[in-house]
Amino acid sequence: MRSKVISVTSVGWLACVLVGLACAELPAQAAEMKLQAFLLWGTDERKPPEGKAYNPVSADIRQKLKDLPLKWTNWFEVNRKDFVVPQGTTKEVPMSAKCQVNVSYLAGSEVEVSLIGKGKETLKRTQSLPRGEILFLGGNAPNSTSWLVGLKRIE
Amino acid sequence: MTVKDHSSADDQTLVRAAQRGDMAAFEELVARHRDKIFARAYSMMRNEEEAVDLSQEAWVKGWQRLRQFQGESGFGTWMTRIVINLCLDQLRKQKRQRTESIEAMDEESGGVERHMPVVTVNPTAGLERAELRQRIDRALGQLSYEHRTVLVLHEFEEMEYKQIAKTMGCSIGTVMSRLFYARRKLAALLADLKKQDSV
Amino acid sequence: MDYNAQLKLQACLDGELPEGEAGKLAMTAARDGEAAALLEELRNTRAALAGFEAEIQLPESREFFWSKIEREIQRSEAPAPGSAAPPLFALLRPFLVPAFALALVFIAGVVLTRPTSPVRRAAAADSETTLADAGAFTYRDYSAGTTLVWLSYPADNEVAEDDEMGTVN
Repeated sequence: MRSKVISVTSVGWLACVLVGLACAELPAQAAEMKLQAFLLWGTDERKPPEGKAYNPVSADIRQKLKDLPLKWTNWFEVNRKDFVVPQGTTKEVPMSAKCQVNVSYLAGSEVEVSLIGKGKETLKRTQSLPRGEILFLGGNAPNSTSWLVGLKRIE
Repeated sequence: MTVKDHSSADDQTLVRAAQRGDMAAFEELVARHRDKIFARAYSMMRNEEEAVDLSQEAWVKGWQRLRQFQGESGFGTWMTRIVINLCLDQLRKQKRQRTESIEAMDEESGGVERHMPVVTVNPTAGLERAELRQRIDRALGQLSYEHRTVLVLHEFEEMEYKQIAKTMGCSIGTVMSRLFYARRKLAALLADLKKQDSV
Repeated sequence: MDYNAQLKLQACLDGELPEGEAGKLAMTAARDGEAAALLEELRNTRAALAGFEAEIQLPESREFFWSKIEREIQRSEAPAPGSAAPPLFALLRPFLVPAFALALVFIAGVVLTRPTSPVRRAAAADSETTLADAGAFTYRDYSAGTTLVWLSYPADNEVAEDDEMGTVN
């Protein structure tokens, strides 16, 4: 009985200490987040289709993709955009005629990413995105190919 | 003191008695429906030990929720729904803990749902019932959990697409794709197994 | 026969199409060899599965299986051993502990997600993914710093192009 009262009191003090720490931390949060979004096309073909000037993905992205359990052997970059999202705002980033990614910078490293395909929201994800990490959103495309939208924090 | 003989009572009578606390009546219900509940759990889990544990858990839950059963469906159907939900929870837990392999990703992502095998009109032609059962058993084990679950819910539980979608938390379109893939894959696996065994 | 037509054929077999549409589709299938063969395969697979579970038996005796259930029911219904907490504390405790716990979680989240130090990488777990349709799953590689969310729709989905080349523009 007494030990329960003590433990609740201890938890209370710990909470106060952490509140103090958090208040000291808050002013140090970044005011904006620099991101890069890229749209990739995955295929087992060795070249992009006729008329499409897609480049093979960079070596570092290729390595990241190799570590993912995806079956396609070749990846091409369809589009790439660098952008900045101030904290508390949302940036709309069109990646193709029918694909857009909306990124909201919430707080800390937390972002909310909405994937809009043909005008409809197909996915929404909230997660932490530290510098250097990549969030891939992907799905199947016709003719045994696939698409990926990558979101990477660059600063 | 005479022990009441419940063996000739119908399910409805036994349920009412069990709802009043008659454990012996509930035991009779368990005896009558235990194989069906176990079979459903086994079809989903593909592991006998897990299926026994989950069907046991389902029966305990059935006893605890018995007051909620109003006879809107058969008692056996009500119990299979309980065990199905327990199996789904367990499968989801196992899936979160499992590292996705390329093959599993292939199966479950739908990346393969476009790669349908060639049509095998009658994959079970010429098979004896016992042999067919064995082959189906093996083939079911080779489906991913999502594809197998949709198949079990549709073919064994006789759920409609809409109900399956609600149970699995996915769209009707996803149910249709998975069911189609599961059936086509099963047919191909049965035909393959037949070919392998005859070589 | 395209994929959607195949799915419709399946829906027809499963009695999921409205009567008029089902009748029309059945007539079309009768004239199309590929459709007829597919329908036959689906029918035969369904017939093969019928009664599959009927012969499966629980591998434990009636008495043994029941004894485990009975024991578990009795255990779950047994009253929990009492502990006499002071009435006031007992009243407040349900509110105090969760409130402090929530505060700790929130504060820990703020403190730990500072981006400035490479050592204090974001340790906050991913929030729940809210999906328009729950046909997606997530793969996380902590060492490589990548997260993959894969939408398991068939190829003809809201994001992919549907032109012949199958390219994403």
